[in-house]
Amino acid sequence: MNIAWKEMKKNKARFLILGSIVFLVSLLTLIISGLANGLSQDNAALIKDLPDGQFYMTKDSDQTYTLSKIDSNTQDKVLDKEKDAAAFSIQMGFVNDSADKQQSVVFVTSTESELFENVKKGEIVLDNSMKDKGIKVGDVLTNNQYSGEFTVKGFVDQKKFSHAPVAFINMEDYKEMYRTNEMQMLFVPGEDSPQAIDGLQAFSKKEFLDTIPSYSAEQMSLNMIVWFLVVISGMLFAIFFYMMNVQKIGLYGILKAIGVKTSALFKMMWTQMLFITVIALSLSIALSQVFNKFAPEGMPFHLTPDTTVKLSIVFLIIGFIGATLSGMQIKKVEPLQAIQQGEV
Amino acid sequence: MTVFTIEDVRKTFTNGEVTEEILKGVNLSLKEGEVTALVGASGSGKSTLLTIAAGLQPASDGQILFEGTNLTEMNAEQVRKIRANKFGFVFQFAHLVPFLTVEEQLMLMLDVAGTKMKKREQKKEIDEILSLVDMGHRKKAYPSSLSGGEKQRIAIARAIIHKPKVLFADEPTASLDSKRSKDVMALIRELTKTLNITTLLVTHDEEMLAYADRIIKMSDGQVA
Repeated sequence: MNIAWKEMKKNKARFLILGSIVFLVSLLTLIISGLANGLSQDNAALIKDLPDGQFYMTKDSDQTYTLSKIDSNTQDKVLDKEKDAAAFSIQMGFVNDSADKQQSVVFVTSTESELFENVKKGEIVLDNSMKDKGIKVGDVLTNNQYSGEFTVKGFVDQKKFSHAPVAFINMEDYKEMYRTNEMQMLFVPGEDSPQAIDGLQAFSKKEFLDTIPSYSAEQMSLNMIVWFLVVISGMLFAIFFYMMNVQKIGLYGILKAIGVKTSALFKMMWTQMLFITVIALSLSIALSQVFNKFAPEGMPFHLTPDTTVKLSIVFLIIGFIGATLSGMQIKKVEPLQAIQQGEV
Repeated sequence: MTVFTIEDVRKTFTNGEVTEEILKGVNLSLKEGEVTALVGASGSGKSTLLTIAAGLQPASDGQILFEGTNLTEMNAEQVRKIRANKFGFVFQFAHLVPFLTVEEQLMLMLDVAGTKMKKREQKKEIDEILSLVDMGHRKKAYPSSLSGGEKQRIAIARAIIHKPKVLFADEPTASLDSKRSKDVMALIRELTKTLNITTLLVTHDEEMLAYADRIIKMSDGQVA
């Protein structure tokens, strides 16, 4: 007989309260996690969407990509050797639209590569979010550092850097605007371990993202909130089950006296924990997915199935640990003590 | 026939530097189909003796022989199995599981005792036991809706549904009024005879001794 289920059926309110708390905490965790992912995408989708590989910048740039300048000889050598590699540069800037309104963008240029948008001289390819600013294909944009005009050739999905939309431009135009002949970085896709290149320092994707000043601080804060919530939910489980177990000490003692195994009492508690967590998580996942779909325009919210599954597993593990720790009392319960305490 | 023997059982408790001997070498044997009542003043050791005999706490010394085995030499799991399969318990309070109906309380006991009955057989068994304790009409009731006497009747039904060899009853009427106490004692005696159980009863109520076959008086941790 499933006594765990019988107890939940009889004491609906008690378990509903615990379930609601788990639901609210897990929903909050998923929402914050979605925002963390969204902000992360908003901050560095350009880099995050690249395949795994190694980034190289000059050693003397002190891990600051804007200060890195890769000399053309080194660049040519690497690009000759690695056919899929690309040299690229990123610079914050702005464009003026046809109404002469300034729009912040991040100019990105690269050598010919499948990894970046290849654009001809005088052309520009923008992130989709620029459509919301009223910019259309064929529009003419200007920049005070550029002698010519940019014609909008198209739009790309989710290409953002440092919370600004990316604008892909031709390398020649970039060189004119920023008065440089050197690219800031080299990217070699598919490399697990870095190569030793004279004067260059290698970074994995994660290491490179961490060099972006706003990215690491922002992600660290949000991740800390997410993990705090996870730990808090584990503690909630432990406290709630502890309180329930304290109330049930007498009952556990009697059940032990009549011969119920301690393992059966643990199973009862785990079943209840699993049932509550699965229901609460299912509801919070469903609601967070609704939020994912109907999040207000412009809100950087991005909750992937991968993150959802990972967090759900963590919640189940934390709930299990919390309940088990509190259940240690069950092991200590002496039947005799419970009998002497009086009516359950 | 003797089914349960207590030989030179001692129990000492140590509290700091003070060691107190509660049982000072008790010898006792229990016979099948008999109600044996342990009586004595408070602190005479009668409840301690019952709980040791029932495997609810260990003895400090001595032997408890049941069906040819010595309970004091068994590990906790072996004692638990004996408690679940061969013993039945009735305490001062009914100690029913608050979230189970009367029927479910008995079903739980059948599961715990490891009886491999099918659901239909379990239900039949439960109906029979409930009619024995005259509680068939409260099968679907939760403990919160039962009176004290009714709860104790269900506790008795739970204690005997798996057909134990020995029934331990520790002050089973202490929380009941005089009429209900007599009803409960009459029921325990009747079931002991009908089901041929060995019953060890602890009571301080002299009126209840009328229902016992044998009365053993305890005084200062010894059989007087």
